[in-house]
Amino acid sequence: MNVVVCVKQIPDPAAPPSLDPGTNNLIRAGKLILDDSDAYGVEMALQLVDKAGEGEVTLVSMTPNGETSGLRTALAMGAAKAILISDDSLAGTDALGTAKVLAAAIKRAEPDLILAATESTDGYTGTTPVQIAEILGLPSVTFAKKVEIDGGSLKVERQTEAGYDEVESPLPALVTVTAGVVEPRYPSFKGIMAAKSKPVETLTIADLGIDAGQVGAIGARQEITDVSASEERASGEIVVDEGDAHQRVIQFLEQLKVL
Amino acid sequence: MDFRQSDEHLMLREAVSAIASKFGHEYYVAKARADERTEELWNAVAEPGFLGVSVPEEYGGGGGGITELALVAEELAAAGCPLLIMVVSPAICATIIAKFGTDAQKQRWLPRFATGELKMAFAITEPDAGSNSHNLSLTAAKDGDIYRLNGTKYYISGVDEAEAILVVTRSGVDPDTGRGRLSLFVVDTDTPGLEKQVLPVEITAPEKQFTLFFDNVEVEADRLVGAEGEGLRQVFFGLNPERILSASLANGISRYALEKASAYAGEREVWGTPIGRHQGISHPLAKAKIEVELARVMTDKAAWLCDFDGDSPAAGEVANMAKYAAAEATLAALDQAIQTHGGNGMSSEYGLADLWGMARLLRIAPVSREMILNFVAQHSLGLPKSY
Repeated sequence: MNVVVCVKQIPDPAAPPSLDPGTNNLIRAGKLILDDSDAYGVEMALQLVDKAGEGEVTLVSMTPNGETSGLRTALAMGAAKAILISDDSLAGTDALGTAKVLAAAIKRAEPDLILAATESTDGYTGTTPVQIAEILGLPSVTFAKKVEIDGGSLKVERQTEAGYDEVESPLPALVTVTAGVVEPRYPSFKGIMAAKSKPVETLTIADLGIDAGQVGAIGARQEITDVSASEERASGEIVVDEGDAHQRVIQFLEQLKVL
Repeated sequence: MDFRQSDEHLMLREAVSAIASKFGHEYYVAKARADERTEELWNAVAEPGFLGVSVPEEYGGGGGGITELALVAEELAAAGCPLLIMVVSPAICATIIAKFGTDAQKQRWLPRFATGELKMAFAITEPDAGSNSHNLSLTAAKDGDIYRLNGTKYYISGVDEAEAILVVTRSGVDPDTGRGRLSLFVVDTDTPGLEKQVLPVEITAPEKQFTLFFDNVEVEADRLVGAEGEGLRQVFFGLNPERILSASLANGISRYALEKASAYAGEREVWGTPIGRHQGISHPLAKAKIEVELARVMTDKAAWLCDFDGDSPAAGEVANMAKYAAAEATLAALDQAIQTHGGNGMSSEYGLADLWGMARLLRIAPVSREMILNFVAQHSLGLPKSY
């Protein structure tokens, strides 16, 4: 059982980076970390391979400047190897362009299953995974809260607003996993020490046979036209107890029509 | 020279910090006050192999060194959980057994040090010997196939959580110098004749202190670690890690205290401005920060020397200096953090004053400030010996 996990390396959300004033794209210079939401896919993949008793987990990532520090975290968790696509002509690539590049890299790994997060923590488009599946001609199941492989077929509990759907699909397939799917492990000390020597294959788009006109800012069909700050939340009402606080809280709740 | 943290060390720090932060200082204090052990935290850190980082790989450990172990201890302390038992069990006991134990002894104990399953206490200090290890009076007398131990140890940490104790004994006398010849034994904590008495101290820590009375305690010959009579030389290989880990605990406490103090000084407003804007508040904190970072650099250097040049005189000299610097820096940092908080600094809620006992202890133990100054005066500066 070979599983590919799409992992994104993003600027540390704890130290918010800035946007390019010209393109409104996120500036990705400097150190990048593993997107937290991808740790769930990595853990899920490790558990599935472990259960299958054979196979390995391969990471696929597209990043500027050949950055690998986020990949090393996932390799330390236990992934066997990584494919990294890093190419100057990819600057400004939109979601579909990213999907084309990742799909071409995933194809080389010939996986039985592809896992991805439902969306990244920096871009939040949530469209790339299903675009990858479409390009590869594979079924995709989104928002998985439970993933099992049973006799060569895929069983997924798919989170919905009303509860969950039970979905079955043949393999190979692509699944996006939610943060509830499994609890990611901490990398072990041995895993941390081993991560450095695990293979990371760095590819350009030429290696993948992709034409530069299809990707990057030139190939992008999506454009960020405007960025504005989200509206500030109105300050709440503070009830100071002068013996009548309970009445005023009740009044407030009645206004909201929750009582 | 490269002062950047390696990716491996950064990842190790992040993972330990993430685990320890789930527990935090409130957990640590609650356990200490309830006379309970920090088993959950210990197991959580042990599981990814972080307590066995310095145990050799062939015995299931991480194959790292004191550098990595020190980093684990510092991150735990920085999350508000300074674990004293780390200083004795993995740092002193596992190091000595890995270096001087027989193959059978290594097989017996090291794999369980690696998993964190085994905790071992370390007993050297005696009521009448103080810092003079030559003067130890707990005797080990050979009696046929066994040894009989008689005497007293005190200020022995964490005996109640330990499965065994590495005991420094006097097994003979050097006929030329008249000084004691020392030998090391691993004694199970439940051995008949060993009485353990809690020694109450004003330190809020989950590890308790003990006085140990050895009354004709029988120990099998296979519990002798290393060569008989060579104990003092062997102990020194455990004492450098002890000083380094003590420095790491101090550095972690310093980071914890300064983080709390800066957060408070940045938020707390009196007369309409954050108190951290006043140089009366900010400068002492900045000074403490500098002293802590200096201590951390020296601790890193001491750990590196311990791992890569452990037999050199510099290894002992720098370990002593690092421990001195870290203990002085943590007292200053914690004191200033408490001062920054005003009255809140003494409240239980803010989790600072309860660390005072531990920070203050680190100026005294495992080697006192004065003994380090003696050492540096004599060995580093070539001044006449004082004792």
